[in-house]
Amino acid sequence: MEKMEGSFAVEDMQNVQINIGAIVKEVEEWDQPMGPFPYPSIATLRDWDFKIMQRYKIMYSPICDRCTLCTYGPCDLTGDKRGACGIDQAAQQGRIVLIACLMGATAHCAHGRHLYHWCLEKFGDLPINMGDEILVDAPITRTIAGIKPKTLKDFGPVLSYFEEQVSQLLACTHTGQEGNYMDFESKALHASMLDHLGMEVSDIIQMIAYDMPRGDENAPIVECGMGTLDKSKAILITYGHNLAASSEAMFYTEDNNLWDKVDIGGVCCTAHDNTRIGEGLGYPKEISEKYKDIGTKAKVAGAIGWWRKMVRGDVMDCVMVDEQCVWTDALAECSKLKVPIIATSEKIMLGLPDRTNDPVEEIVDDLVSFRMPGVAVLDPAKAGEVGVRTAIAVKPRRSEIREADPFLSEEDFKKYAESCTYCHSCQFVCPPHIKIGDVVRAAAEGNYEPLSTTYEVCVGCRRCEQACPQDIPILSLYAFANRDYIRNQKFKMRAGRGPVKDTEIRRVGAPIVLGTIPGIIALVGCGNYPNGTKEAYDMAKEFVDRGFIVAASGCMAMDMSLYTDEEGKTIWEQYPGAVDGRNICNMGSCVANAHISGATIKIATIFAGRNERANFDDMADYTLSKIGACGVAWGAYSQKAASIATGCNRMGIPVVVQPHSVMYRRSYVGRTDKKEDWEIIDARDGSKVYCEPAPEHMLYIAETKEEAMLMMAKLCFRPSDNSQGRMIKLTHYCDISMKYFGCMPPDWHVYVRHASDLPLKWKEDMMKELEAKHGWEIDWKRKAIVSGPIRKMDVSFDPTNIERKIRVKK
Amino acid sequence: MAVDTTKNAVPFEMAQIPGPEMAKAYNTAVIGAILKKAKRPLLVVGAELFEDPVMFDKAIEIGKTGVPIAATAHTIKGFIERGYTENVHMIGLHPLTSYLRFKDWQGLDGKGQYDVVIFTGIFYKFASAMFSTLKNFNRDIKRVSIDRYYHVNADMTFGNLAFNPDQYHEAVDEVIAKLKA
Repeated sequence: MEKMEGSFAVEDMQNVQINIGAIVKEVEEWDQPMGPFPYPSIATLRDWDFKIMQRYKIMYSPICDRCTLCTYGPCDLTGDKRGACGIDQAAQQGRIVLIACLMGATAHCAHGRHLYHWCLEKFGDLPINMGDEILVDAPITRTIAGIKPKTLKDFGPVLSYFEEQVSQLLACTHTGQEGNYMDFESKALHASMLDHLGMEVSDIIQMIAYDMPRGDENAPIVECGMGTLDKSKAILITYGHNLAASSEAMFYTEDNNLWDKVDIGGVCCTAHDNTRIGEGLGYPKEISEKYKDIGTKAKVAGAIGWWRKMVRGDVMDCVMVDEQCVWTDALAECSKLKVPIIATSEKIMLGLPDRTNDPVEEIVDDLVSFRMPGVAVLDPAKAGEVGVRTAIAVKPRRSEIREADPFLSEEDFKKYAESCTYCHSCQFVCPPHIKIGDVVRAAAEGNYEPLSTTYEVCVGCRRCEQACPQDIPILSLYAFANRDYIRNQKFKMRAGRGPVKDTEIRRVGAPIVLGTIPGIIALVGCGNYPNGTKEAYDMAKEFVDRGFIVAASGCMAMDMSLYTDEEGKTIWEQYPGAVDGRNICNMGSCVANAHISGATIKIATIFAGRNERANFDDMADYTLSKIGACGVAWGAYSQKAASIATGCNRMGIPVVVQPHSVMYRRSYVGRTDKKEDWEIIDARDGSKVYCEPAPEHMLYIAETKEEAMLMMAKLCFRPSDNSQGRMIKLTHYCDISMKYFGCMPPDWHVYVRHASDLPLKWKEDMMKELEAKHGWEIDWKRKAIVSGPIRKMDVSFDPTNIERKIRVKK
Repeated sequence: MAVDTTKNAVPFEMAQIPGPEMAKAYNTAVIGAILKKAKRPLLVVGAELFEDPVMFDKAIEIGKTGVPIAATAHTIKGFIERGYTENVHMIGLHPLTSYLRFKDWQGLDGKGQYDVVIFTGIFYKFASAMFSTLKNFNRDIKRVSIDRYYHVNADMTFGNLAFNPDQYHEAVDEVIAKLKA
């Protein structure tokens, strides 16, 4: 910042107070010219959104056919009916989608806002130093805001921009505001783009303040699983997404040499962030001098789907909750087992008394003596101290006071199992459709195996217990039958590495754009898997083995840690952690998802030399046309997952989701029978040409893991793929189909432009099929395709969807 | 005596209550007659068939009456293993439903849009949502479920038979018999 010197006078005025908000004049240190869209407003990128929606038709699957939002309602909107205000079903669904995306986006941004204030208070303004290998350091912020943040304070205006936009967007959902479904969707895309901005800001703030890894492919391997929590110590669980209080618990433990007395385990994304602290570049000094590598002392207790299983498995003595994804009956569940709970965020106070201003001793005493089941302590430092001291002090008292053993007795287990009347009420409400009646009946007959084999399929929602007319504590039956597994659930996970390094982009940029690295697969999200956590591991392994770049984050990264190969190695121990083919990267917590979408911007700017500054649609167009990336949210449950996926879509990244994701109500699906939908511009001369449908869909719902994997491979095709890339991508697409479907995919030929695109192992047969089934003309002498493909091979083809990218008009 | 498929007409996931328009449970004779009468029917089968393999055989029986089959997810594998691929098409339920909502779609065989779709063997929540799409955005297609669940967003469905596989299989056999008659 340029220093402004000089003096000014205010004459004839008394008692004048001058507030200087921000000095706007700044020395320009960024040689990139400002792009067309700095701080885009709601309608700024509408043209881009409509291009996406023209190709990928919005598909709604209403969960509720009515609108009940105003006093004219309930209005029945089924079919072509309209509500009293005039809204139709499509617009109403778009409205709900926008609200969901806003929920997700604000959750991340509010997280960032809290960290912004807290970190400035605790550490002061810190320079954003991502190390020598990351010069493009905040790609999403650069692309959307058009600024290059230098210190934490530079994120202040970015967060204010976000907050203004979400306020405007939420206003649009009021009755009598927006009424067109495509405009609702454009707004949802805008909200979700902002979500990625909020995630990036949040993660950079915590990376800088807590000295987390900045693109470290060798980030430490940490312990993961309920069994890693040392029962000989007090166990403090920190649950949620915001490390402010949990990090203080770790610092307090370190400062007071208490690691031999307390184990700190995280649940959900706080677990990720705990294990990243102090593993970065060595600054700020406050962290590096006192807390170097402290993250390796924390443990990942587990992902969100394991929370209630942990409670029933009695793996905790005290719980600190912060924000996001905290099941709202946490207090009730913990109270039953005399586990004190400390709410540390204004966002989740659980009806508990606010004890922020009380002395620590008094608060701890009230919790340890069980005078109150929990407290709210909103000062992170105090909350951390209360958490650790309470856990240590309450541990011996819990077993004294608690009426029963946390696990059922053999006798009670039998009694409950035998009380099942096989009414199947449980199965009517079980999300993954576990045949709970059969499982319990087998248990009553002494066969616990079904309780074991379905343990990882159970999502721990507890709906079965609520439905059971016999009040059978089904999760406790599970805990009893799996108590050995709970004690021995000990695995390894690589700590979140943070963003992609510029050097990595230079290495993989060309292979990705040409297609010789077959794609980037991002496995993100939560624990609501349709068929168990094992699928997270299976999908990751399939694609790493095939040479894709596989990135993971959030609960999916934790869940895939729970399985090993024949040598007993988890996926993190089997493969290196760089951004490269046959590697698997743990990016970090939910907010680290921004580094995945940010990586596509970095490819465009570092590899292709495009200007990212305030240039969102250009970056998204490049991604859509040239970067074979596909997101997968196989356990997605939250509104945050909705906004993350929708934000990816605006960025041109297709996403595959699991069948429960129909609850999001909206998807984007291509029509391959409409040739005109796949018209694209050749940027060389502005001519409009037809292309194969690549990527075919933007938000795809798969029924099974097998279908998801086939679609992941398919959605990595891009119009820019060269022959070698096409051959590699076709090989994987066809091979996955043969492996899991027993046949070739019916549309493989669509992606062929030249005989050299054909995988060698099937080349002869494929050429025969092209001729016989699809009517292509084959020159058998030259083994060449004469006619038939949608497009012919053209090595310098430069596809774009944006007119201003045309270099020379025809 | 025919299986009473009109009982237990409550959504399989009990909170799945969409609104004023909810499916009616019909007996097998009526459903069979509707299928027989259809000009452009399409049987849509999902991956739950792998958990109840006898349903592959029943789907093939329906296929042999001339009703084309859309094999969603990786269900095609079950048909290949049984040597029946005559009129079986591999397509995901999601894109299939997307096509079904457009009146100008020409079908899997290029001969025109379908007038009746029959779902079975599909993950409940997914099938329900896809029925909802058709219910709201293409009401020209009759939505029929011959799955073991009461499907609230269908036009015609069985009541819940999920916990009585024998009865369920018998009910499907009755529909097939009607179709063949």
